[in-house]
Amino acid sequence: MAAEVYYQAVGTLQSHSHLNNFNRHQKHQNNTVRLVARDFISGNGLSRRSTNRSGRRNCTVIRSLASQTSVVDPVLSPSRSNAGDSNKKSNEAALILIRHGESLWNEKNLFTGCVDVPLSKKGIDEAIEAGKRISSIPVDVIFTSALIRAQMTAMLAMTQHRRGKVPIVLHNESERARSWSQVFSEDTKKQSIPVIQAWQLNERMYGELQGLNKQETADRYGKEQVHEWRRSYDIPPPNGESLEMCAQRAVAYFRDQIEPQLLSGKNVMISAHGNSLRSIIMYLDKLTSQEVISLELSTGIPMLYIFKEGRFIRRGSPIGPSEAGVYAYTRRLALYKQKLDDMFQ
Amino acid sequence: MMAATFKCQPTGLHGSGIDASAPRSSRNFGRFYSMRFACNTRCNTLRHVHTPLSISQDSSTESSLILIRHGESLWNEKNLFTGCCDVPLTQRGVEEAIEAGKRISYIPVDMIFTSALIRAQMTAMLAMTQHLQKKIPIIIHNESEEATTWTRVYSEKTTKQSIPVITAWELNERMYGELQGLNKQETAERYGKEKVHEWRRSFDIPPPKGESLEMCSQRAVAYFKHFIEPQLKSGKHVMVAAHGNSLRSIIMYLDRLTSQEVTTLELSTGVPLLYIYTEGKYMSRGSPVGPTEAGVYAYTQSLAVYRQQLDEMLP
Repeated sequence: MAAEVYYQAVGTLQSHSHLNNFNRHQKHQNNTVRLVARDFISGNGLSRRSTNRSGRRNCTVIRSLASQTSVVDPVLSPSRSNAGDSNKKSNEAALILIRHGESLWNEKNLFTGCVDVPLSKKGIDEAIEAGKRISSIPVDVIFTSALIRAQMTAMLAMTQHRRGKVPIVLHNESERARSWSQVFSEDTKKQSIPVIQAWQLNERMYGELQGLNKQETADRYGKEQVHEWRRSYDIPPPNGESLEMCAQRAVAYFRDQIEPQLLSGKNVMISAHGNSLRSIIMYLDKLTSQEVISLELSTGIPMLYIFKEGRFIRRGSPIGPSEAGVYAYTRRLALYKQKLDDMFQ
Repeated sequence: MMAATFKCQPTGLHGSGIDASAPRSSRNFGRFYSMRFACNTRCNTLRHVHTPLSISQDSSTESSLILIRHGESLWNEKNLFTGCCDVPLTQRGVEEAIEAGKRISYIPVDMIFTSALIRAQMTAMLAMTQHLQKKIPIIIHNESEEATTWTRVYSEKTTKQSIPVITAWELNERMYGELQGLNKQETAERYGKEKVHEWRRSFDIPPPKGESLEMCSQRAVAYFKHFIEPQLKSGKHVMVAAHGNSLRSIIMYLDRLTSQEVTTLELSTGVPLLYIYTEGKYMSRGSPVGPTEAGVYAYTQSLAVYRQQLDEMLP
């Protein structure tokens, strides 16, 4: 039941978990890597305006390791010397979603939509903090919107990443752009993370409200009308998009371009906006339109999903490397982190 | 009157470099005695022009032109030839951009031009987070009808408080062809040190499938003359955030350097360069040191007044 889906649940590792059921814990055998993860989720992951289920916020100490005792993880094999970033044999991929932080118009309380406004100082700090939280999670490809605040968020976050691979923005807007940005070293390409910019991941287009002061708009159109545009599912502001329209193009893009990457085992990061990410989460978590309109995403707090066997398992919000002890959402990620730790000794 | 140089432009999106509501302290010119400026740029020509500090300055328009070369990128760190590969800044490059922003926080900016590469765009946007004027950079999108429609602003007031940011591939770094992504050491081993040095430092010899500095200059200066200079002529204050070679090319034009001189020109990363454009001429003003410098300083009387007004606006 979609209504049961919550983010405060601490992941246990289930080989065939249903998205909607975080209550079933299965015991698994102990392995060499101990998981001490208690609370993966910071206070600001996703939240809902509806009732709080405080019972679900109890943290569970995970003592044992994952489910795939029968599968030899290629990262563990002795011949592998680099940090486990090859997923060819793994049927699991990480998906990180980051909503950008404060923009200069947020600060001024103006409706932004698709106007290309950059980050404020606070937004920059938020991006770097977000980067610290995901610094041990593998990233093979990055998708951002066409707006600078999401692009900056991704690039700032990646300055904190421990793996050391270099994001490279791909250019396909013209033949010249494509040929001019070509890389001529195979080694260098292997150490690169392609960054794909897509307008389909843009914020919801707010039409004639773009650039207007929120107070003025309420004065002009009336508070209820503005509230309806902002919070309904299918009513667009004048010349703008409804959340439904935004969801349509964002989810279509996700399914066409991003999901195949995950299917092929690539670890993906998406840096985008409140409404485009809500739309994607609606798809990942199978939310109803009612549920999605009350969904709030914290800014600058990365959210982790594990994509496995065609399903998306929500793993809340990574805390970051300062957490004592070894932690992991899955065994594969634990090993990846361990390899990074070893690299940095 | 000095204030005349900052009057609102009749056309276009932008108002003056200062809020119209700021008090006009045009009576305080007497306070600005020093014309001290720091020249820690390694430009090999520098023209010192002293503007008279009298009240009755002629009313020709004067605009500032700030050039910023972006800071360290992730491939700089790895010693790889970057060219037009779109590689972002390192943490250090981010800090350089913010430092650059502090240095120019008092200099008016009405328009920003950047290359099509993220490291220059980020440099500009990071620098502007430090700027004291209240206007907000907005990136202009003209790549398609839809992009233009989608990014439209519907408030005149907000538009007046905006600084348009124009991205242009013509301001990109020199395209390095088949060297892009290669390790500098490896390339020297493969092609020979002299050959690589020739490609890097000659004026007109391009690397395989790449641009020579001459070719880069051609498109960068053409863009500057066609799109940026008219803005300066109309009194707009402009910032250009770009790359070593595209900026060298522009400086070659501004300072009338020979091809020999430009090949030995090195621009510091993340250190802004200021030019004053007046009566069709570019006066190099070196590199602003930023607001922490003790005492009052000014490059021109107008800038001094602008700075004073900013000081008065802030608590």
